[in-house]
Amino acid sequence: MEKILLKNIDKPEAYKLDNYVTNGGYVAVQKALKMEPDQIIQTVKDSNLRGRGGAGFPAGLKWSFIPKDPTIQKYLCCNADEGEPGTFKDRAIMDKDPHLLLEGMMITCYAIGASVGYVYIRGEFEYGAAKLEDAITEAYEKGYLGSNIFGSDFSLDLYVHRGAGAYICGEETALLESLEGGRGQPRKKPPFPALAGLYAKPTVINNVETLGCIPAIIEKGPEWFAAIGPEKSPGTRICGVSGHVKKPGLYELPMGVPLRELIYDHCGGMRGSKPIKAVIPGGVSAPMLIEADLDTPMDFDSMAAKGTMLGSSAVMVMEEGTCMVKVAYITSRFFSHESCGKCTPCREGTSWQTKVLHRMEHGEGRPGDVELLESLCDNIFGRTFCPLGDGAVMALRGALKHFREEFVYHVEHKKCMVGSDDE
Amino acid sequence: MANVKINGKEVEVEAGTLILDAARDLGHDIPTFCYQADLMGIGSCRMCLIEIEGQKKLQPSCITPVMDGMSILTDSPTVVSARSSMLEFLLTDHALDCPVCDKGGECELQDMVFKHGPRTGRHAEPKHTHHEKDYALSPVIIKNSNRCVQCTKCVRVCKEIVGVGVLGSIGRGIHQEETSFQKTFLDCDHCGNCIEVCPVGCFMRRPYRYTSRSWDLTSADSICTYCATGCRIVIEERDGTLVRSRAQLGVGLNSETLCARGRFGYDIVNKEERLTTPMVKKYGKLEPATWEEAFSAVERGLKGCAPERIGGLISARMTNEEIFLFSKLFKGSLGSSNVDSSMRWTPEAVEGFAAATSMPEGGASLFDVMASDTVLVVGTQLSDENPVVDYIVRRITNANGVRVAIASSRAMKLDSSASITLRHAPAAEGSLLGATALILADSGADKLAGNSDVQAGLGTIKGIGVDSLATSAGLNRKEIEELVSRLGSSESVGIIAGTEFLRFPEGSANLALFTEVLRGVGKTVTVVPVLDRCNQRGAWEMGAHPNLGTAYSSTDTKGLGFAGMMDAASAGQMDALYIAGENPVIDYGEGNFARDAVDKARFVIVQDTFMTETAAMADVVLPGVTFAEKDGTYTNQEGRVQSINRLLKGPGSAKSDLEIISTIHNIISGTEETPAQKAAGVFGDIRAEVTSYASVDLSFNNKKNTFNDLDNKGSLVGSASASIAVATVAGSAAATIAGEGPAGFTLVTGNHLYHSGRLTLRSEILDGFVKGAIVELSSEDADRLGLSTGDTVTVAGSRYTADLTLKVRKGSVNGMAFIAENFNDVLVHKFFKHGESVASVKIARS
Amino acid sequence: MLTEKTLEKIQQIQKNYHSKKSAVMGALMAVQRDSGNNLTREDMEAVAEILEVNPVEVQAVAGFYTMYNWKKPVGRHHIEICWNLSCSLMGAEHLISHMEKKLGITLGETTADGMFTLSTAECLGSCGTAPMMQVGDDYYENLTVEKVDKILADLRASS
Ligand SMILES: Cc1cc2nc3c(=O)[nH]c(=O)nc-3n(C[C@H](O)[C@H](O)[C@H](O)COP(=O)(O)O)c2cc1C
Ligand code: SF4
Ligand code: FES
Repeated sequence: MEKILLKNIDKPEAYKLDNYVTNGGYVAVQKALKMEPDQIIQTVKDSNLRGRGGAGFPAGLKWSFIPKDPTIQKYLCCNADEGEPGTFKDRAIMDKDPHLLLEGMMITCYAIGASVGYVYIRGEFEYGAAKLEDAITEAYEKGYLGSNIFGSDFSLDLYVHRGAGAYICGEETALLESLEGGRGQPRKKPPFPALAGLYAKPTVINNVETLGCIPAIIEKGPEWFAAIGPEKSPGTRICGVSGHVKKPGLYELPMGVPLRELIYDHCGGMRGSKPIKAVIPGGVSAPMLIEADLDTPMDFDSMAAKGTMLGSSAVMVMEEGTCMVKVAYITSRFFSHESCGKCTPCREGTSWQTKVLHRMEHGEGRPGDVELLESLCDNIFGRTFCPLGDGAVMALRGALKHFREEFVYHVEHKKCMVGSDDE
Repeated sequence: MANVKINGKEVEVEAGTLILDAARDLGHDIPTFCYQADLMGIGSCRMCLIEIEGQKKLQPSCITPVMDGMSILTDSPTVVSARSSMLEFLLTDHALDCPVCDKGGECELQDMVFKHGPRTGRHAEPKHTHHEKDYALSPVIIKNSNRCVQCTKCVRVCKEIVGVGVLGSIGRGIHQEETSFQKTFLDCDHCGNCIEVCPVGCFMRRPYRYTSRSWDLTSADSICTYCATGCRIVIEERDGTLVRSRAQLGVGLNSETLCARGRFGYDIVNKEERLTTPMVKKYGKLEPATWEEAFSAVERGLKGCAPERIGGLISARMTNEEIFLFSKLFKGSLGSSNVDSSMRWTPEAVEGFAAATSMPEGGASLFDVMASDTVLVVGTQLSDENPVVDYIVRRITNANGVRVAIASSRAMKLDSSASITLRHAPAAEGSLLGATALILADSGADKLAGNSDVQAGLGTIKGIGVDSLATSAGLNRKEIEELVSRLGSSESVGIIAGTEFLRFPEGSANLALFTEVLRGVGKTVTVVPVLDRCNQRGAWEMGAHPNLGTAYSSTDTKGLGFAGMMDAASAGQMDALYIAGENPVIDYGEGNFARDAVDKARFVIVQDTFMTETAAMADVVLPGVTFAEKDGTYTNQEGRVQSINRLLKGPGSAKSDLEIISTIHNIISGTEETPAQKAAGVFGDIRAEVTSYASVDLSFNNKKNTFNDLDNKGSLVGSASASIAVATVAGSAAATIAGEGPAGFTLVTGNHLYHSGRLTLRSEILDGFVKGAIVELSSEDADRLGLSTGDTVTVAGSRYTADLTLKVRKGSVNGMAFIAENFNDVLVHKFFKHGESVASVKIARS
Repeated sequence: MLTEKTLEKIQQIQKNYHSKKSAVMGALMAVQRDSGNNLTREDMEAVAEILEVNPVEVQAVAGFYTMYNWKKPVGRHHIEICWNLSCSLMGAEHLISHMEKKLGITLGETTADGMFTLSTAECLGSCGTAPMMQVGDDYYENLTVEKVDKILADLRASS
């Protein structure tokens, strides 16, 4: 299969502008600059590209919400916060092929009429940020950025904004808040960023992988893209696989490849002999699946039908023997650590959840703890300000749904039901 | 409009209304923590979640507007369970130390848990604590973050309303704590609004701490007396001591906000050194006396004096009723027009200002001013002088996108909300407005052609010309043109005009002209004056003015203003002076002039609450009471008439000022009536006699009003039948007399943020905020002289020299020095000759 | 006191934005790098002054993000070991207790010589090469006990 996003990843020094051009880069943007902005938006709509940041919102549709008034400043923000546990796909593009992202951003900015774009990259990605900044410098030097890029009348400035350690900044309005120099707490919607985003101006926020698809769509046409994978979630997807598989790593595959194929054909199966106990298909916010679900195709709708999410397609594979109380504790601890503190149920609820799970995990469970956890889930879910709190619930509910008896066992026996490797 | 169903009932509400407001309007109770009408909605506490039929998730009603066709449930089982679960969550890390918490009994969390909360707690884990012990954030704020519900109202009120922004949320998740930078003492306005908005016992008042349980307090509705904004307060006492002054959400034009003076200046009432007994001078020495002795001394002193040799000065902090009787006493029984209510301003300045700010036309609401397309703030350092007006302007500007222009020599906090700031030379308001009027008139020449008043006014300044007016205001023509174009593109203009016009009366004529030109070219203009004594406007309207009767009516005889009385006294031509609530010996300019003048007056009555320097020289001292100890009404700067209510009994044998004045009135007029005890009766007489007061609505809704409709227009005075001629003091050239040489400055004065007048200086709490007298210079001037904030400098004038601490105020005009009138250690009046408002001084490092 | 270089860097960062406040994060990071990977009260005040915001807003930012070290100082090498799910599945906990023993400190502490601070981190986006840790700017992946020992030794030797 032809790769779109990782096609240059293994080529030597692919991050250099010259090499990117040699590999066929910066052709699409020149083609785009000769098109009408609306035509580009229509092309992306026709390609049926859905956002790769998690929610799967159609990219072309999102762009079309931006007001057309040329006197209003508009912005593009690339979401490179990559914080969803299990996810490491965007980093690869930024480290190895930053010009792909830049080209995607150039086309997008032109389409929505933005003269300024930011890459909001998570603070820990020192290397990636440096690579991006170098790439931007190279592009300016070549006249690919700045005034009248590629000789067109379109001018564009791109900047890198570095985060500093906060998962919530991946949420788009928190990202904007952070870009404006504040604490990354989500903003109320409406107004949606498309009308009042960065500095209260119309703003599009797209994930790195989403933007990385744009050059190919422009170059090869929407029909070509739409023909890859399932009709409603076309294109390829970078699956980041971690956990107990033989060959963890990134795999760019057409949407809709079943989990089983990903794990057994591409990742070489499980590292030991143990069977699969659970798989998280889209980052820790996505409820886990079990062995019986492995034939589910990896696309937005099929995962939703299974009560989980494709999310960031970060696949975490757990073998038989993994303690699910511990998994639940770790994920809950994560959400409570990352809760921004704005809303009551998430701030207090995830912390309470974590305290209970911590006790359970350390042999101090009390009768009623499992029911308490379930009740806390009910009291948090759907009542938080942003989806982070929901994520914490979905992760825990997933574990409770399939492995409730392990939790009960922990309470009753003050120890693990499974002899985990680590114990 | 939108048609929605709330709990089954169909209603039509304005599109864009918040679900919360629509539901509360129908009487449905929705609890909230983070919502506050005056603050930007954040929807974070989730107490207000409601159900919208057809939507999976509950929605926060405080940030969700209604949409046509919505069916809303505010009490469905899911909603009820969500509420109780939010409270359960909030209690998990809450300290639950209610028995020792100041807020116990008036805590929103307590009340809400009682009403909506879970009856049992399931959280059996260790609580997150932010700190061990309560810590102080300022002389007035003490903090316990372990009780916090993270509504962040404190942070938001500080930034959005007060405009200071010294509070922040530090930390993330459960670690989030609303506090100061490094938890150190706050460098702020000490307004305590953070305390007031706190629903729990997280921000607390230090002075009130552990003095009482809330249910042991007795309270009364009152008005703050420290400026003329007319903020509503509730004062509270325990065992005869005033322990708290606070504001209430949705009540009064200030709603929940107050400035430091209003919230913390109450302690003057409790002072030991209050006057408790009348005193009469015997053998050259003041001795305690009975009221009978005091009144007969008054009778002896006043009877037989020639009317033109008697003078009266009454403080603009007295009530309408008191001032009404005081004026009657003089103009009626004593037959003297020598009555004044301000020793700082000339009677002519008052007439000019009253005319220019349309006061005779009746009350004008600040909210109407703020509903204008453009608002001009001129002649006031509003942020320090009338802090709550500053809050209101800031809030409405932020929320409604009103455009604000500020013309002032001194920089102020509100500048950050202004789209235009004009930094003019001190005392140059008139030149600035003259130049503005000329350019405006040019553009609307055809509309103004037949307007003879305007033409006459323009005629007097046309000769000077725009450029030279601009230059004398220290501005360039472009700056003024920018203001004109802003005004030109507005349909309505609001003007907030302050006391600089009283200090520099040359400006009033051009303020009036400017207003007329605006009206002439078709703009709707609303003017609100800004004043610094709670009842200054009332004092004028009650006739405490030598040339005006009640409600600006003209009188046949003109009397002496206070300056005239002092001159007469100094020349040995005053037989008797009756001074109520003022202290000219200290506050009147030019060294010992006032002391000598008072000394030369044959007979002096002083009525006051403290033994002032002037009282010490009196022949009779009559102990009156403070606002907390009497009834009455005040008319604020907008013309709102509002009542104060007695909470405490005066100290010792002190009598209400009304009774004292009324008794003297009876003595002089020889009537046998019992003196007035209740203000209400006198207010009836005022209604009967002063037509503009005939129908003011004194009824006061003390309930939290859910619509946040703070504008009770019924309390505004009506238009007076009289009208006064536009300012008598014509001319325009600014009184800029910048001192000579590079170290020469024009010295101007005004009120301090924590003090208005000298009464506040008696407040220990307020006094604790100020460390010694300060002189302000612009940052450029300071740089030029190699000085910086904190340096001690010598300010030398021709009459007086003093050492002060320098404060650099970034953005103020160059060449100007400012010293507040209200320091104990530096008497700024001494720099001035009496009657003068600017002086030239030299400044150098001490 | 900020160095010329840092001041310049802050000026540069400011140019990227429409508002000065946007530069707070970048400025704080620049200053932190300049002050031995720590932020002092004076540092925050300096940033506030340059960017014309109230110091409390600067601290609010510093306090929200985990990468600013203002609460207590960190050592020369700040080891942040990921203990989120992917790394835990691959044995992060072993490595944590190993390092605690080896360095003689517990999580959150700094060695007496100020050389190492040991902290945990939530997912650092390196899950396919778990377990991993970050020391300063550098990622160390596919860790084993032996690898960790070598890294610690090299770091010690390098400084
Ligand atoms: C708590 C939370 C964290 C998120 N983190 C990320 C992230 O790290 N990267 C990302 O691209 N999107 C993240 N998202 C999704 C974004 O909010 C947003 O939907 C996305 O950036 C839109 O881009 P797309 O349409 O290209 O997917 C997160 C959402 C939430 C609620
Ligand atoms: S759910 Fe609430 S507390 Fe949690 S991250 Fe979102 S806004 Fe913040
Ligand atoms: S009042 Fe609506 S969320 Fe707090």
